[in-house]
Amino acid sequence: MQTFLLILFGFLAGIMGGMGMGGGTLLVPLLSFLQLPQRTIQGANLISFLPMCCVALGFHAKNKLLAPQHIGWLIAPAIVMSVAGALAANAADNDILRYCYAAFLLAVGLWQLVVAVRFELRRKAQLPRSDAKGTDNSPQPPRS
Amino acid sequence: MDLSAKNKWILLIFSAAAGFINGFLGGGGGVIAVALLLSVLKLHQKYAQATALLVVLPLTAVSAAVYIFKDSVDWIPTLWTTLGVVVGGIVGALALNRLKGNVAKLIFALVLIAGGVKMFF
Repeated sequence: MQTFLLILFGFLAGIMGGMGMGGGTLLVPLLSFLQLPQRTIQGANLISFLPMCCVALGFHAKNKLLAPQHIGWLIAPAIVMSVAGALAANAADNDILRYCYAAFLLAVGLWQLVVAVRFELRRKAQLPRSDAKGTDNSPQPPRS
Repeated sequence: MDLSAKNKWILLIFSAAAGFINGFLGGGGGVIAVALLLSVLKLHQKYAQATALLVVLPLTAVSAAVYIFKDSVDWIPTLWTTLGVVVGGIVGALALNRLKGNVAKLIFALVLIAGGVKMFF
């Protein structure tokens, strides 16, 4: 049963991850139903992300959805700090990690909710003027 | 597109935070990366989501190496989860090219809030 749930939760989170919507953000709370230590969950999340990410990037490259210009400015500082973060995680208590994760989820969830609702309101306000906007699925340039 | 000095600083500071969070919490850096790609680099939603994977891949590889080195990985549950994630990832990547609208984001936000509340107890 545990094995089935591990695969199922992985599958659900993988769908979000493949879309680039933060599959890990979803996998951690799902796995926390299975009474695993928080650090084990986090390790599973990191490792399971790697092959999925490579596969998804292959698809996105084929669909020409990658816009790598300037991303060195994001990657360089993030790599350095991710080592620091991983070392801190390995020194921290499992309960502390879990509470920090919960706080992070709430913050991101509320933030994304505000973004989505605001987008929806703006779209509704614009509706009388624009015709096909938002439903247009034709190729568009990567940047606005 | 050229980056202004101010935008470079914004990218440096927020991506450093994203990197720390991704290592400390074992994930979550992607959400911040998407936001930066949308707001600072002005990518469209689909491009931002796809390109964020490119940003998060090296951080995750480095963080995962630290977890493995520190013996914090339990391989049996990790490998089963990975199997599910890879299959789901293929489905998600195929779906992204067709994704429109805002509904997925709304659902995602609600799921995160529910997950956050659950994890506090």
